Amino acid sequence: MCVNNGRNMLLRMSLRLVFNLHIQFQGANISQLERDIGSDQFPPNEHYFGLVNFGNTCYSNSVLQALYFCRPFREKVLEYKARNKRTKETLLTCLADLFYSIATQKKKVGSIAPKKFIARLRKEKEEFDNYMQQDAHEFLNFLINHINEIILAERNQSRPAGGKGGAGDAGSPPEPTWVHEIFQGILTSETRCLNCETVSSKDEDFFDLQVDVDQNTSITHCLKCFSNTETLCSDNKFKCDHCSSYQEAQKRMRVKKLPMILALHLKRFKYVEQYNRHIKVSHRVVFPLELRLFNTSDDAVNPDRLYDLVAVVIHCGSGPNRGHYISIVKSHGFWLLFDDDMVDKIDAATIEDFYGLTSDIQKSSETGYILFYQSRDCS
Amino acid sequence: MAVQLDGGGKDDLKTQFVTREGTYKLMTLSEYSRPNRVGYTNSQGSASVRVSFVTLPDPADPTGAQGLGDRMCFNFGKELYVYVYRGVKKQLFQAVDLNKPVDKKLYKGTNPTCHNFNQTTATADSAPLLVGFSTGQIQLIDPIKKELSKLYNEERLIDKSKVTCIKWVPGSSNLFLVSHSSGQLYLYNEELLCGTTPPHYQPFKSGDGYAIHTCKTKSTRNPLYRWVIGAEGCCINEFAFSPCGSNLAVVSQDGFLRVFHYDTMELVGSARSYFGGFLCVCWSPDGRYVVVGGEDDLVTIWSFNEKRVVARGQGHHSWVSVVAFDPYTTSYGDHDPDFSGSDDESMPHTNHNNHFHEKPNRLSTVSQGIHSNRNSCGSELRVSGGTCYRLGSVSQDTQLCLWDITEDVLRPPVSAKQRTSTAGSGTFSSSGTFTSGNGATSNHNSNNAKHNNLNNIGFKESASGNNESSNNSISTNAAVSTVNSLTQRLAGLGFGERKGDNHKRNFSLTMRGSGTSNNAIQNNSGEKSGSNSNSSNSNSVGGGLGTNKKSGGTMDDPMRLIGTAWCPRFDECPVLEPLVCKKLAHERLTELVFREDCFVTACQDGYVYTWARPGHMVGPLTISSTLHRPHHHTNPHTNANSNRPNDL
Repeated sequence: MCVNNGRNMLLRMSLRLVFNLHIQFQGANISQLERDIGSDQFPPNEHYFGLVNFGNTCYSNSVLQALYFCRPFREKVLEYKARNKRTKETLLTCLADLFYSIATQKKKVGSIAPKKFIARLRKEKEEFDNYMQQDAHEFLNFLINHINEIILAERNQSRPAGGKGGAGDAGSPPEPTWVHEIFQGILTSETRCLNCETVSSKDEDFFDLQVDVDQNTSITHCLKCFSNTETLCSDNKFKCDHCSSYQEAQKRMRVKKLPMILALHLKRFKYVEQYNRHIKVSHRVVFPLELRLFNTSDDAVNPDRLYDLVAVVIHCGSGPNRGHYISIVKSHGFWLLFDDDMVDKIDAATIEDFYGLTSDIQKSSETGYILFYQSRDCS
Repeated sequence: MAVQLDGGGKDDLKTQFVTREGTYKLMTLSEYSRPNRVGYTNSQGSASVRVSFVTLPDPADPTGAQGLGDRMCFNFGKELYVYVYRGVKKQLFQAVDLNKPVDKKLYKGTNPTCHNFNQTTATADSAPLLVGFSTGQIQLIDPIKKELSKLYNEERLIDKSKVTCIKWVPGSSNLFLVSHSSGQLYLYNEELLCGTTPPHYQPFKSGDGYAIHTCKTKSTRNPLYRWVIGAEGCCINEFAFSPCGSNLAVVSQDGFLRVFHYDTMELVGSARSYFGGFLCVCWSPDGRYVVVGGEDDLVTIWSFNEKRVVARGQGHHSWVSVVAFDPYTTSYGDHDPDFSGSDDESMPHTNHNNHFHEKPNRLSTVSQGIHSNRNSCGSELRVSGGTCYRLGSVSQDTQLCLWDITEDVLRPPVSAKQRTSTAGSGTFSSSGTFTSGNGATSNHNSNNAKHNNLNNIGFKESASGNNESSNNSISTNAAVSTVNSLTQRLAGLGFGERKGDNHKRNFSLTMRGSGTSNNAIQNNSGEKSGSNSNSSNSNSVGGGLGTNKKSGGTMDDPMRLIGTAWCPRFDECPVLEPLVCKKLAHERLTELVFREDCFVTACQDGYVYTWARPGHMVGPLTISSTLHRPHHHTNPHTNANSNRPNDL
């Protein structure tokens, strides 16, 4: 069980107990969730299954649920499952099996134990091989990169003579994988040497954007700040090719290629020297259901891309190594809250509860931590 | 762990600030809040604190200039307060005991969300006040007479969702309009009953994105009309009548502004947010512009005459919660720039209702006849020089922004065109940033360029082809294109000028990308070309609209509205910067009302602040001894009656 802080979590826990009892004695009873949605409204071929917690695995559960409801990602994972019948077990096959088993459940709602996935995860990465609370963003980052590497490795295996480079190849960039197609965007970093005025730019790929949070702002503002011009000086000077020396320079990063799914990580865990540890920044940062980017580069390919919020991973509690993760997702026009094995339909108005706090007085908060925006043109 | 991480200290709050007209000062002695409040109240998730004013006509003081008869209402949590309001002047006459409201109500199981006094029927001892509630009910009370109390939608048979905005129909003594988060707008007659059964509706009128129903009964009952606006369940966030009362602007969570002719119930125009919902709306005092604020952190200026988005203001760091024009600082025409200073003493007091200018004709009289037809709604746009609108906005970022919007920015392209070539040379190196307030010459060019972008494939290509003026266009305006591509080249070099200047958004014409975005433009223009090919720059936007509308289905698809007059691309539309941007509170700002001698802001934590205009600050030392600052811990209110929760 997670270390829970705050009354809401306690309430949720007690609800969960009731829910578990309900599961045990379930018969033909239709669940509360089904009742809330309404049997005639329940989307066909959709399944809302909670994920059982194996001891502080809510960081994984919350991210997996969010990813499951990023439709392009789910479809690709299920496609992978359909294509790869007999391969050796990887984290991707475990994920595919998990998604497949959710998608093929007979019941519409319930819960499922992602046992194989968690076991594999613990084997794959030492940091996750314990019962401590982990950072959901670190997990997401690891998962996406790892899946991408698996796909690249399998591609190389199937074409051993092809010689197409792997992930780290400095030469011609490898053909994009479906992970790239979904999550990858390009940042262009423009640096202007203050000595010779030469502007140089460099592109780099990203799978998510990590933004600082300010009190009483919007995610739009945080993204704008992400692209603010910074001056490189003193120890951090820029090596100008034109001047052949280290010079003061101005640098800014803007988005050149907007990804299909824009994952935004709000940097809510801040190291405070005074306490010698990370503390949580509960600042209120509003995020709209619809988003466009202001911080695109002049040569951006599709700067007007319109995004819809599809999932949010929420951190509940007071610090990075304590507390709990849940997620809210949008499915067929309504919002669902996944709290490990529990699933509830929520009103869109309650999303407001996850913006954060305007005051530092309360210790614990339930705040949006990773936002998943999906481009409208891909659906 | 509760740790102060950054900022947020009391010291960065402003108690005064300077604009070009002088210094605005916070009146610390007229800080209204709930009496006897203690410590921190969690206002998370509760309704926004809104403020309503009314001026009671005083037979002894027919002009109302003394401001003795003003009453103010605000809501906070489950409570509603009505106070005597004297604004800046209060210290001259008689201290208002901030612990003794005129009326106070505490509601059980519901929160008041919005309210509106009836200025038309207010008398010296009566002020009908409508209150809307989070659970959908509506109450009509008279906080002065105290005997009136009527309920509408009491059993929630008409609508169960939150009341989001409530207003008396301009000039009416008994009709009022109520919007709900269900996306419906109802017209009530205060004198009619709501019936004991849910209303049965029959279709009355419908159009693009809206439908109007009447109640199907033998005897007339409430609601008289039901307007369903936007997609089902799409929250109406606010609505505002035009100054002349004949048009109604409605903003919704679906990101649309819809403007209706109120009497004919025809949709006369609409606009789409850059993204997210529109949260607030107001009209310019002359009825020519509608300004909306929303979840894109922008204020968007829409021209009623041209039916297009003419400019956007970027300066807030979060969602914009209220927009309001300051009619006293808005100046008209070239000849009387100090109009506000000289004339505001005689401005009628009835203007104090937020968003609703009761006596618009007054304005045209003082502006010396030149714009005498300005207030006739739907009149042809008149080109006049030097008009400068003052707009205010407050946001969840706790900041107030003031904007000066000059006609140069808003001017339709036909008049700007002539001046483009002359404006061309000197002004470009500044990479075309609009600073509101001094945006003079450079604006014309950009404004014009925007229109070229909207309608002219050739120009767009030359722009996106990375600053090369390979103009293979059908443009009738080749000279302008060339000038503009020069702008782009210079703007492209402007990177260095932007250092450390994070919210000075450059309105550079440097075009983005050649690939997809260019294609999009081409498609877009292709769609429109039929109707656009022979129309002039000035009205081709309207032509484009017509085509789009006829082709159908575009109306609610923001993907197809981008790049049109409804929602120009960001770099196709002038971007204004605020004149000032000041952090006024620790909590989200939820209200902004401009008054003759001050402006009033309210904050999510239940405080209502008065800011004296330049020259209106009364020296507090002379009389401060007679004033009581509210004692937050003492003097419990003894009015037992008003302490009792009110059941709806």
